[in-house]
Amino acid sequence: MTSPVIASIRLLIRDWRGGELGVLFSALLLAVSVVVAISGFVNRLQFNLERESASFLAADLVVSSSKPIPAPWMDEASASGLAQGETITFSSMVISADDEMFLASVKAVGGAYPLRGALSVDKGLSQASTDIPEPGTVFLAPRLVQQLSASVGDEVYVGDATLTVAGTLLSEPDSTTGFFGYGPRLVMNTANLDETGVVQPGSRVTYRLLVAGETDDLTTYREWVEPQLVQGQRLSSVDESQPGIGATLDRARGFLLLAGSLGVMLAAAAILVAARRFGERHTDQVAVMKSLGATRATIRQLYAFSLAWLGLISIGLGSGIGWLAQSAMFNALAGQLPSEITRIGIAPYITGAVTAFVCIGFFAWPPLARLGGVSPLRVIRREETIADATRSTDLVLGTASLGLLMLWYSSDWKLTGALIGSIAITVGLGFLVAQTLLTGSRQVGSSAGSVWRLALAGMQRRGTSSAFQVVIFGIAIMLLLVLTSVRTSLLDQWRLQIPEGTPNHFILNVAPTDESSLLTFFAERDIEVGELYPAARGRVMAVNGQPLPDWDRFEEGARQREANFTSTDTAPEGNKIVSGAWWEVGTELSLVSLEDGFADDIGAKVGDMLTLRIAADEFSVEVASIREVNWESMQPNFFVIFPDKLLEQFPNTLFTSFYLEPGEKYRLGELLDVMPTLTIIELDVAIQEIKTIIDQVSQAIELVLLIVLVAGALVLIAGVSASVDERLHESAILRALGAGRGTLSGAVAIEFATMGSLAGILAILGSETAGWVLQTQMLDLEYQIQWVLWPMGIALGAVIIGTLGTYACRRVVSVPPLQVLREL
Amino acid sequence: MIKTSQLIKRVSTAESELEILRGIDLEIKRGETAAIVGASGSGKSTLLGLLAGLDAPSSGEITLDGVNIVNLDEDERATLRSEKVGFVFQNFQLLPALTALENVMLPLELAGIDSAREKSEGFLSRVGLAERFHHYPRTLSGGEQQRVAIARAFASQPLILFADEPTGNLDTTTGATVVELLFGLNKEEGTTLVLVTHDNILADRCQRKYIMTAGHLEEAS
Ligand SMILES: Nc1ncnc2c1ncn2[C@@H]1O[C@H](COP(=O)(O)OP(=O)(O)OP(=O)(O)O)[C@@H](O)[C@H]1O
Ligand SMILES: [Mg+2]
Repeated sequence: MTSPVIASIRLLIRDWRGGELGVLFSALLLAVSVVVAISGFVNRLQFNLERESASFLAADLVVSSSKPIPAPWMDEASASGLAQGETITFSSMVISADDEMFLASVKAVGGAYPLRGALSVDKGLSQASTDIPEPGTVFLAPRLVQQLSASVGDEVYVGDATLTVAGTLLSEPDSTTGFFGYGPRLVMNTANLDETGVVQPGSRVTYRLLVAGETDDLTTYREWVEPQLVQGQRLSSVDESQPGIGATLDRARGFLLLAGSLGVMLAAAAILVAARRFGERHTDQVAVMKSLGATRATIRQLYAFSLAWLGLISIGLGSGIGWLAQSAMFNALAGQLPSEITRIGIAPYITGAVTAFVCIGFFAWPPLARLGGVSPLRVIRREETIADATRSTDLVLGTASLGLLMLWYSSDWKLTGALIGSIAITVGLGFLVAQTLLTGSRQVGSSAGSVWRLALAGMQRRGTSSAFQVVIFGIAIMLLLVLTSVRTSLLDQWRLQIPEGTPNHFILNVAPTDESSLLTFFAERDIEVGELYPAARGRVMAVNGQPLPDWDRFEEGARQREANFTSTDTAPEGNKIVSGAWWEVGTELSLVSLEDGFADDIGAKVGDMLTLRIAADEFSVEVASIREVNWESMQPNFFVIFPDKLLEQFPNTLFTSFYLEPGEKYRLGELLDVMPTLTIIELDVAIQEIKTIIDQVSQAIELVLLIVLVAGALVLIAGVSASVDERLHESAILRALGAGRGTLSGAVAIEFATMGSLAGILAILGSETAGWVLQTQMLDLEYQIQWVLWPMGIALGAVIIGTLGTYACRRVVSVPPLQVLREL
Repeated sequence: MIKTSQLIKRVSTAESELEILRGIDLEIKRGETAAIVGASGSGKSTLLGLLAGLDAPSSGEITLDGVNIVNLDEDERATLRSEKVGFVFQNFQLLPALTALENVMLPLELAGIDSAREKSEGFLSRVGLAERFHHYPRTLSGGEQQRVAIARAFASQPLILFADEPTGNLDTTTGATVVELLFGLNKEEGTTLVLVTHDNILADRCQRKYIMTAGHLEEAS
């Protein structure tokens, strides 16, 4: 016996020339390319999105403290190979040369600040810069420029230091850290900090150490710092400081993972179909080889080696195609994403290779392994067929292996469970329903016209094989439906998260007497302003008479904090009461509703008595309810809410929110001219950035969906072409016997359309199940049965499969029968 | 060379058990030519398949070159086939994906013979297809395909060659050419030849002639 290695190469070359390998090879190639492309793309996208969202902190990790950061912490960061920067923020009066004064939120920056994202500064004379201010210079936010009437080159005073204005600060990456950062920004260099004399022991200053680097190094550093944190110090990453972005990214990650997994499943289905066809076409060849003396072992070896070669070639080629595809997708988004060059790393290729071998081992190998058992008698009696009794175990094994592959790929058992479960439903129900209906249709068919009779008889004759096709079509359509509907819910949800015109500015400290002039101001300028709510700043002193320690004088303090209180008698929209109950409108009881995280921090439950202080008044309230707040909506959220009647008794101010077009920022200056005591919080930049991220992710999702759609189409094509051979022979005979081409193509069309609509029904059952699990369990989305999909799925199944089938079988009716009979 | 005793083949069909061969005894010596004739459906192909070891009998003995093949399993029979047996099929059974030459080389490759290509070219030339090495079966006529099949059967230089209606699909002239080839090779290589045929003239040229009637075999005198 020639070495199986050489023999298998020969077999492959001959099969290739003979056109036998085409479908199997393209399915394998598809599997590898899809996996490499999607996982490579997801890796890169995720990396870039993390980078981009890290710019909300200007770092990957931030240590903030009320006292200067201990030097060993910085040394450790350097030792861990992390980049570092620092910021020191405090409020200070800024005075211009003309003695204009304004309270600014000052940020002194140094080191490699910003580690993520960039400053954008207009230095006048159409120069722009992204560098931090040189020592001795400052950048002013536009509102500060306006208030101080200072321009580039002028001097301003911060405490005792005299600094030169070097530019207008257009945006800073970490503008949103410290939600309530009052006053417009002034950015200076840490080198001048001592000169100012503003930072004294006891003054309200926040020190931040910014670090950035590789994930592993960050984790190590985090684990090193965390145990050393004391009161007034905390560690934060993007997910913690920007829960809205964190959740958005998690969903995107989940979706892309899902899409990748579906890509693998579709490719596996294509391989299964192709391998069956390959096996069928090789039955005769194997019978001849066996009659010529090949043993079962020889045949198995031959095909095992062939598959191994095929696997290696598709891994090599597929990796290349996958790489090209992911870089094409990435370039399509290039305008949107940071231009940082990122490599996709080795992981996607490994995933691709493992996928190829799992697909080969569990989907391509079983039908070929059975070739060893082909009876050589087939050369005498064609009817001797492959024993295919083990086919259902193939499906079980295959599905199980696919499950493991997906689990490994997504590390998410819910996702895997949902998909495998729905596939099991589709397969199980599929065979049952398909067999029954196909048998039933025979009865119908025998009383129908000749075209129908031919079509239904054909379907029934191919019984199991037709059922198999229906199941494969069903799975492909189901996976596409799942992905499309998840995508739609996801995008809808994101669109709702920050609708057009979401208020992007907040006004605090409106004196009740100023209410009408404020409304007039906005009315004159045609700016829509929200309702005015009462607000008071206060603090929680004690829980159930047990005083809380006064160690939190800082906004980001880990636990008890000074908070903005508001009042309302109707539960705020988007808040979910997790325990207790909302009070009745107009109640005069002393009640309070707490945000759940806040309640945890101070250790309060429903029924507890809190001692609170607003200004000089101390009073007690009972915790009536605890709320879960949706941090993803950029709406004002309150930790502490009272009934209206209660807050009225205390000195309070009003707050409201409004939406300002990007070009109208100067209105803020006008407003402060009229009412200088107002505090304005600008969220426009933060909202814009979240929108940008959502846009990018949405586009990425559309692209990935497109790839998966292509994979799905290929499965359908593979499925349809699998039965072409069989039909070719049959229809040649029928035509030789005088059947017209119209009759035959009508029969083919009816047959495929029937299978298509059956597949559509299966697909909908499966996708509703999978969709329910995925959306409610994994993506945290609302689930609704998509009734519109039902008729659509059935009709689309019939039309698409019918068209594809008729097209694929056009040879069946157009090639002269003589030629067909001769070829076979 | 070939000897059977009380060979019985039954198959179970949907309705009942069908006895195709009902106790066959025959003996053919080395280098002999033998013909089996009989009505369609009488069991000729079934017998040939059993003799060639393509299938196992329900009972009885088959001895090929001194080996009782009834006790061999399918893989052992395959090895025996590759070493000693050649087969020319009623419907050619060429592999459509392989060229004429590759079809002839196949059994040699399976047997691990080194000079597969030279030998195959030699045999193809002997059946008059020197010009058609690289043609695919579908581009060859029926007679040409049958000649490739004969070249393939002879290429591994078997001790015994079975041919199931080698001329059944061919016109008289082409059929005659094929028959000449078979007998010529039998002479030159000393191959034992067992034919199934409906052609009495061909059957009469053989040293032995058996008649199959409904599963019973009788030697004609
Ligand atoms: N596996 C099987 N199952 C059922 N019937 C079988 C099987 N194998 C053979 N037969 C039947 O046995 C009988 C003998 O078949 P066989 O092919 O040996 O006939 P034959 O003599 O070669 O006929 P022909 O001259 O037409 O080729 C036929 O009636 C055939 O239908
Ligand atoms: Mg026969």
